[in-house]
Amino acid sequence: MAQPIFAFRDVSVRFGATPILDKVGFDVAPEEFLCLVGPSGCGKTTLLRVAAGLIRPQEGRAEFEGRTVAEPTPELAIVFQDYSRALLPWRTVAGNVELALEARGAPRAGRAAEVKRLLGIIGLADHAQKFPLQLSGGMQQRVQIARALAQRPRILLMDEPFGSLDAMTRQALQDEIARLCKSERQTVVFVTHDLEEAIYLGDRVVALKANPGRVVEIVEIALPRPRDQLTTREHPRFLEYRHRLFGHLAKKEAE
Amino acid sequence: MTLRRLLLGLVFPVALLAAWEVSVRTGLLSEDVFSRISRIVPALLEGLADGTILARTYETLAAALFGWAIAAAIGIPLGLVLGLVRPLERLTLVTIEALRPVPSAALIPIVLLIFGFSLELDATVAAFACLWPVLIVTTGAVRGIEPRLLEVGRALGYGALARIWHFALPAALPGIAVGLRVAFGIAIVVAVTVEIAANPRGLGYAMITAQQSLRAEVMYAHLFWIGLVGWLINVAMIRAERHWLRWYWAARGAA
Repeated sequence: MAQPIFAFRDVSVRFGATPILDKVGFDVAPEEFLCLVGPSGCGKTTLLRVAAGLIRPQEGRAEFEGRTVAEPTPELAIVFQDYSRALLPWRTVAGNVELALEARGAPRAGRAAEVKRLLGIIGLADHAQKFPLQLSGGMQQRVQIARALAQRPRILLMDEPFGSLDAMTRQALQDEIARLCKSERQTVVFVTHDLEEAIYLGDRVVALKANPGRVVEIVEIALPRPRDQLTTREHPRFLEYRHRLFGHLAKKEAE
Repeated sequence: MTLRRLLLGLVFPVALLAAWEVSVRTGLLSEDVFSRISRIVPALLEGLADGTILARTYETLAAALFGWAIAAAIGIPLGLVLGLVRPLERLTLVTIEALRPVPSAALIPIVLLIFGFSLELDATVAAFACLWPVLIVTTGAVRGIEPRLLEVGRALGYGALARIWHFALPAALPGIAVGLRVAFGIAIVVAVTVEIAANPRGLGYAMITAQQSLRAEVMYAHLFWIGLVGWLINVAMIRAERHWLRWYWAARGAA
């Protein structure tokens, strides 16, 4: 594997006396689409928040290009699951995207053009002047993705971004994000509880187990790209990965 | 539809005024105490025509506005801080709850010693009365802010002060606007009260002089005028809210 751009080094997090994550460690390669999958309560969201610098682990650290992530930095953009709460309802779609440009101090003159470009990429060109709450859930999540991309992040952190969308919208956004991130050579860490989504999107899938959260298996996904909602999901290897990883997720329920 | 609603809304007041007129004319009510509409309306028109009512209105409104602005200038920042910093709120709770029930009129003797008979007397007492609704509503509105929004601010790399300005304040604004509107009503009421009780200026003093010179119709003319002005200001403030907080109303319309 190439020199990692990002790494978790024995990350342990406790909330009070409850251990959430126990010595989680793995690398993320440049341009990799890495999926983190695990049952609810396995600490995958907590791990992503450690990656974003929003919480500090009691032990271990998250490293971006060899430096410890101590606080949020524009190089790491996070997309939250609850888009309706993560967007500023008083700013228009364009205003929400521009927020990230203001935050990284982009020159005022180029902002409008950059916002327009991003909204074009994400399919929101016609909705620039609407307010977020006037849009559907899928479109709101697109706004949040556009805002994250406006940060020009080196790594895009996504926390179950499609978890509360309907199935059709979810599939459409999966394909768009996969295509976009590959064409822009964007490194992604993508958290989901949906095993099939993880396999469908990922170059690698990291499976976590709960109580406390820890890595149980890391699987390379050798499926051809571009992937396809029908053929990829029917690919023999897709089913093989699914069988192999399914046990880690299912066991939790049995415990 | 709106015209019909307006007409329906007018039925009761018109009936009441007619009953008033008839009661006085038939001797059921004393004209010395109650005057009658057919005298009050000309008195009001006369007062408006010769400019005296407008001059008194200006005195009262200027004082109310001044006091209200002071209350906003103190209440909004203080409310923001108390809403964001929980320990500080607990620290000041007893003080606030002890000061709040003090009747604003009880301040008149003290403030009279400081400022004498002046605009400042009205304004200071009004400011004291307005401060509490502004402070309490602002604190509550800030505490009700979606925590995710503030986290988005952190993730984008905004510092603490920038998060207050770009995130907390706009998010709390719909709540603060209601507090400000309620407070302005209180400011007018308190200013007039101070004028009736002590301060020889404005609409309240005009009312009390009319009463003392046994000109009941002039007294009622002022009373109606105060009601009309208060109603107009309330309508104007609701209009302003709907305009400046379009995003809030747009979202509610869509929901």
